[in-house]
Amino acid sequence: MKLNTIKRTAICISLLAAVSCTDNFEEINTNPNGITPELLEQDFNHIKGSFGPMFNNILVLTPEWKYQVQQGLQGDIWSGYMATGTAFRGGTNNTTYDLVDGWNGFAWGAAYGDVMFNAYNVEQKAKGKYDQFYALSLILKVEGMHRVTDTYGPIVYSKFGTTDPVIAYDSQDEVYNQMFKELDVAVAELTKRVDAGEASTFVTTDLSSYKGDYKKWVKFANSLRLRLAMRIVKKNPALAKTEAEKAIAQKFGVMTSNDDLFKVVSPTFNNPIATISAAWGDIRMSADMESIMGGYTDPRLPVFFNTSAQFPGQYKGVRTGIEIAAKADHVDFSAIGPIVNSKEIALMTTSEVYLLRAEGALRGWNMGGTAQSLYEMGITASFDQHGVSGATSYIADNVKTAKAYVDPNFPANNGAALNNVTVAWDATATNEVKLQKIITQKWIAGFPEGQEAWSEYRRTGYPKLLPVLKNTSGGKIDSNLGVRRVNFVQSEKDGNPGGVATGLTKLGGADNGGTRLWWDTTGPNF
Amino acid sequence: MKQIILIFMIIFTSQVTLAQVKTVKGSVTDVVGSPLPGASITVQGESKGTITDFDGNFSIEVQKGETLIISYLGSETQKVVVGDDSTIKAQLKEASLTTLTEVVVTSLGIKKTRKSLTYSAQELKGEELTRVKDANIINTIAGKIAGVAVTKSAGGTGGSTKVVIRGNSSVSNNQPLYVIDGIPLFNGTSGQPNDSFGSTAGGNRDGGDVVSLINPDDYEGMTVLKGAAASVLYGSQGANGVILLSSKKAKEGKSNLKASSVTTFESAAYLPKFQNEYVAVAGGEETWGAKGASNDHVKDFFNTGNTQITSLAFSSASAISSTTLSYANTSGSGIIPGSGLKKNNFGIRQTAKFFEDKLSVAANANYTTQTVNNRPVNGLYFNPLTGVYLMPRGNDFNAYKENFEVFDPARNLMAQNWMTDRDILQNPYWGINRNKSEDTNQFFNGSIALDYKVNNWLSIASRYSYNRVESGFDKKIYATTQGTLSHTNGRYINVNTLSTQRYGDLIATINTKFNEDFSFNANIGTSITNTIGNQRTTLDSGIGGGLQIANWFTLGNFVNNAGNLQTLDSSKEVQSVFAATTLGYKDMLFLDLAARNDWSSTLVNTDNSGFFYPSVGVTAIISEMTTLPDFINYGKVRATYAQVGNDIFPFVTSPTNGFTAEGNKPAIAAPKPGTSLRPELKSEVEIGTEWRMFDNRLGFELSYYNSETKHQYLQILAPLTNPLGVKYYGINAGSIKNVGFEAVVTGKIIKTDKFSWDATVNYSQNKNTVKEIPTELGGKVILTEAGVNNYRYILEQGKPYGVIEGVNIKRDAQGRVLLNADGTIQKTDFEEVGNSNPDFMVGFSNSFKLGSFFANVLIDGRFGGNVMSLTEAVNDEFGVSKATGDARNAGGVVINAVYPDGSAYAGKYPAESYYKQTGGRAGATGEYVYDATNVSVREVSIGYTFNTKRLPFLQTASLSLIARNLGFIYKDAPFDPNISLSTGEGLQGIDVYGMPSTRSIGLNLNVTF
Repeated sequence: MKLNTIKRTAICISLLAAVSCTDNFEEINTNPNGITPELLEQDFNHIKGSFGPMFNNILVLTPEWKYQVQQGLQGDIWSGYMATGTAFRGGTNNTTYDLVDGWNGFAWGAAYGDVMFNAYNVEQKAKGKYDQFYALSLILKVEGMHRVTDTYGPIVYSKFGTTDPVIAYDSQDEVYNQMFKELDVAVAELTKRVDAGEASTFVTTDLSSYKGDYKKWVKFANSLRLRLAMRIVKKNPALAKTEAEKAIAQKFGVMTSNDDLFKVVSPTFNNPIATISAAWGDIRMSADMESIMGGYTDPRLPVFFNTSAQFPGQYKGVRTGIEIAAKADHVDFSAIGPIVNSKEIALMTTSEVYLLRAEGALRGWNMGGTAQSLYEMGITASFDQHGVSGATSYIADNVKTAKAYVDPNFPANNGAALNNVTVAWDATATNEVKLQKIITQKWIAGFPEGQEAWSEYRRTGYPKLLPVLKNTSGGKIDSNLGVRRVNFVQSEKDGNPGGVATGLTKLGGADNGGTRLWWDTTGPNF
Repeated sequence: MKQIILIFMIIFTSQVTLAQVKTVKGSVTDVVGSPLPGASITVQGESKGTITDFDGNFSIEVQKGETLIISYLGSETQKVVVGDDSTIKAQLKEASLTTLTEVVVTSLGIKKTRKSLTYSAQELKGEELTRVKDANIINTIAGKIAGVAVTKSAGGTGGSTKVVIRGNSSVSNNQPLYVIDGIPLFNGTSGQPNDSFGSTAGGNRDGGDVVSLINPDDYEGMTVLKGAAASVLYGSQGANGVILLSSKKAKEGKSNLKASSVTTFESAAYLPKFQNEYVAVAGGEETWGAKGASNDHVKDFFNTGNTQITSLAFSSASAISSTTLSYANTSGSGIIPGSGLKKNNFGIRQTAKFFEDKLSVAANANYTTQTVNNRPVNGLYFNPLTGVYLMPRGNDFNAYKENFEVFDPARNLMAQNWMTDRDILQNPYWGINRNKSEDTNQFFNGSIALDYKVNNWLSIASRYSYNRVESGFDKKIYATTQGTLSHTNGRYINVNTLSTQRYGDLIATINTKFNEDFSFNANIGTSITNTIGNQRTTLDSGIGGGLQIANWFTLGNFVNNAGNLQTLDSSKEVQSVFAATTLGYKDMLFLDLAARNDWSSTLVNTDNSGFFYPSVGVTAIISEMTTLPDFINYGKVRATYAQVGNDIFPFVTSPTNGFTAEGNKPAIAAPKPGTSLRPELKSEVEIGTEWRMFDNRLGFELSYYNSETKHQYLQILAPLTNPLGVKYYGINAGSIKNVGFEAVVTGKIIKTDKFSWDATVNYSQNKNTVKEIPTELGGKVILTEAGVNNYRYILEQGKPYGVIEGVNIKRDAQGRVLLNADGTIQKTDFEEVGNSNPDFMVGFSNSFKLGSFFANVLIDGRFGGNVMSLTEAVNDEFGVSKATGDARNAGGVVINAVYPDGSAYAGKYPAESYYKQTGGRAGATGEYVYDATNVSVREVSIGYTFNTKRLPFLQTASLSLIARNLGFIYKDAPFDPNISLSTGEGLQGIDVYGMPSTRSIGLNLNVTF
């Protein structure tokens, strides 16, 4: 441009020269604290750099408040694991079934902003070129996103990455089908590399306990497949059986030792529950935990919980959905124990995998063992995982059952024992009782990861949980059935309203916490 | 572009050839000897003439015996017959001020006759800025200029101020441009809150702005250019209007020392009302227990604040140079214990002439340093007011005041002593003493201006200025501060921010007459502005990481590096060429043409980084053109059309990734896939008329404007499901229309020898409409997100800018409250509950003189608009407000409500249940929306001017009693609605535990030695 030349000439003769005489708008407009794509490609950081956020946000490790509203005041509560004695929002909130959209959107935010976006980024940059990374990203994506569909129902999945004005949602059915296929791709790719004796290129990038071991990743993928298969058993039993048996039959199989269990190992952060419980006093043992583990006098109690500061030597839980006058009322009940004072955060345990197999065996699937043996191995694996002894006598206990819950400060919160199964396997019991035992043990073993326990509670109804006494859902959520899902999020309603509309259609019910998900049917367990 | 070339051609071809004659040199000064730059010298009966340079000097070629006509705006014209002397010294007397001679400072510091302006410009004299002095000069213009809305931040003394001229017209920036002596001032802020909850990173704090750091005593006047036409020469930066400040000039041959001292006392006004009849249940966090008296501790919490401003200015000038030195010291203690401010201003201005006075050089340097201790924050975090207002009643506030910390034997340290452990509710005295913060600002403004007079019609000036602002924030948070805000070992936050602006220009000024009838002047120039905004280094030990050793506040003690960051908010360069011409016919008809082209670095990687915009205006002095009735002294009509372009946010078109300890972080914002960005464009039509009559005793000026700003740059929340991973998409969409009317009426109501009463009424109304918000955004753009509170601030299609959204109680058509089956109150989703903009504003200023006594009263009114008070809502939820006490005394809340089955609710609704559902930050916030209409006594001063003949060593002396924000004549809201939580675009129309407004009363002493 000619005028540009005149201007530049004028500028460069005068005091203007003191300002600048350059023409480098691109440089001026580039944030020097940002990293350019060229820099990022060095050392493959453009691919590897995407894994950290995924590892750290499946469960948000930092900041703690974000975990608190991602899962701490959702799945961790609705699973019956934990309860809060803090009267958030004047005592009407998620715990009283008045779903707080302002909180519940964070799970979506972490899932898409950190997990899904980075998985997509790896797919764009690595697929077809560095397929081991693509495979690993798929496993992490399935691990991260099945939790999201299990929370909301229909979600953005296959259409992620589109630049269409409307980003359509997939039904939960479609999401599960795609996840099975993605696990197929990942398992095939990594197995091929193990077979070829290839050295892992994921060692330093891997923030899990696997340290880049492809074979362990395959076992995890198979185990995850088993979990997903079981979830859909009431809706699509044939596919469930196929996928579950495929997982067991795969060359490397599923997790069988505690070395196999999948945990994120953070170099920096403790499990966020530690701060929320100890520093903030915002989360405590639940009444259900006190009833069930207390009833069994479970040897894992000292690992999971601290004894009450107010009632020394006792494990005191807090009931969810009660009137709370002051935080001080329950803050000296049992805090969460040593299990969370750790930088290792288990997302799937070997114990869970055995117990999934036990249920599969109960359903007559080929799970490589009997229901009883797998059930008992599941319990043993959990004891071993926490370095707790006494599994044998615990497994043999056919007397103790859950106990009644007592709130010594506020008797109105008391509740009778709802679960009457013992620990010991009873070959003569009905499948329903056996299932209750399996799920109850899986529920205990999975602590403190409440998302999976909440999903399994919704699928099976076990363990039976104390109903809320204060229900402020405005009739949307039944006190006895509990929260079945979470509302679609505000940011999507604002930014992708057309997509939300497709989600609503696929949900097939009102957008509230009482609507059941696709796999969550009212039908019997068998 | 073609236009510019055309203008060049006109200029260079229209020159009059000059005859070979004698050269006369001279100088033109006023009666006290100050040089008069720009005075006109013409030869009687001929078309030739010249003007004086910056220092009042001229040279002209004439023949002996000819008569020079020396005239200067605002002075009486003098005729001098050329004799044998080759030098002429003319001293011009000040003309009695009439509309024909009034001069205003306009764009780029150019003085123009008021009559020739084609647009609206309103002036304030220096005394208006210092009469009832405020530490922030901008706070003193409230109510004095039609169409200018001034809102103070809740940050107290040293806080920033939001100024909106002629309504909000942009989503991203509505602040006007400040210009000092023709050079743009960088007026950035190191931070403004935009979250109604509060920030865990030290609270919702106002980082302060730059204009609050300047010394009010350095300036002799202010001109506000309101419209686009007036500001076209400043380009994008001037799109929201321009506020021009002129610094005081030394007067030739005189040395003087001016001193002024102002002392004011501030008291908290308009506190919320509390109940004192109910206490909390034992150990309870909220006050919903039994009856029981408690003291009202709130009033006693606040101190009487004190502000002391002392300023000195020394000036001296000779024929070829002048020097001005100034110093001001401001020190203050706030109404919140532990808060206070210290500010020092240094200024020096030097002028000199060289090469036979052809070259003038002026250099200016100002330095300000300011320290604010415990600058008040708003929101719920780190705010002592939440603890003061919400403390469960029945506890002894004084005991917690005196023993805010107690020894903790378990940790062997002093621990916070408070009855509850809740993030939003700490012991206020713990906060004040153990969460101490210090805000610092250092501002340097240096400039140099060269002006070379090439010949009698052309001069070339070049200027350079450098602004540098450093802001620091240091907060030491002791161990046992609540766990949401701090690690168990405490937390250290140290933020340092640096912003710079470099400005340079080169301007040719042409001033000539084609012949007797036609005058022509033009400015052609180029400028470059390079701005780096908020280059920030943040050290934060954080909540998760923390400190290794408790209460040792240093970087070496950080557990990890996760909170330590370097960031940059903005960086841009704008290069411009511009030209402005005024063509005058017989001093009664003027035509303005101006044009500018900007190239902005923020538009790199778009279709075109340059953008052009023109303006045109005409003025006709009717009183000169035709014969009007005798009582009319002056009449003028004017009209302009102008466009102003505005660039977009920096970095957006060159997005880069972040990379943290965790890994890859995508860019924050990027253009929406498939779109290219372009500049905003504001177009404005303005018409106006000015009249003076009855011996100039009554005057009025009316203006109507209609502006529309199109292609707004919006950063919309990208759906979380977006493939770029960005938080925001940058798009051009939406347009904002402002239509308004302004009237300024001035009257010398009483004018006698002994007593006079002058009054001015400023009236302005503005109607604002948001248009063309894309349908995929649902017709809405969110400016402040709701987060977990039931307040958000949005732009909505078809509505005025700044809709306040909240949640209402659901009611049926008959107005009955709808209950759920369990008796709880039904609430709506987010919906409009108000609008933050006033419908119209009126300022009524009066000045009285009786002998040596003088008095000034300014009444300021804002009508219409709404404000929401989350303070009241949370006070209600916690059972501490008077309303909750009254409701409990009455046995509950009277409510006309029905169940879903249609049956009516019987009896009164229990107060606790009612306020827990409707109160609170996430309750039925629509219940807490108030009319923002208010009329206040903004400024009062009563003073006495001493007769200096009796005080021989003094030149002038005056003493006055001054008051600011004396009281409200009318107000609906339970707090001062003229205070805002943020001077940014969001978080308007809401109060969340903002510091209460203050009433200040004091003394002002001015002397000149």
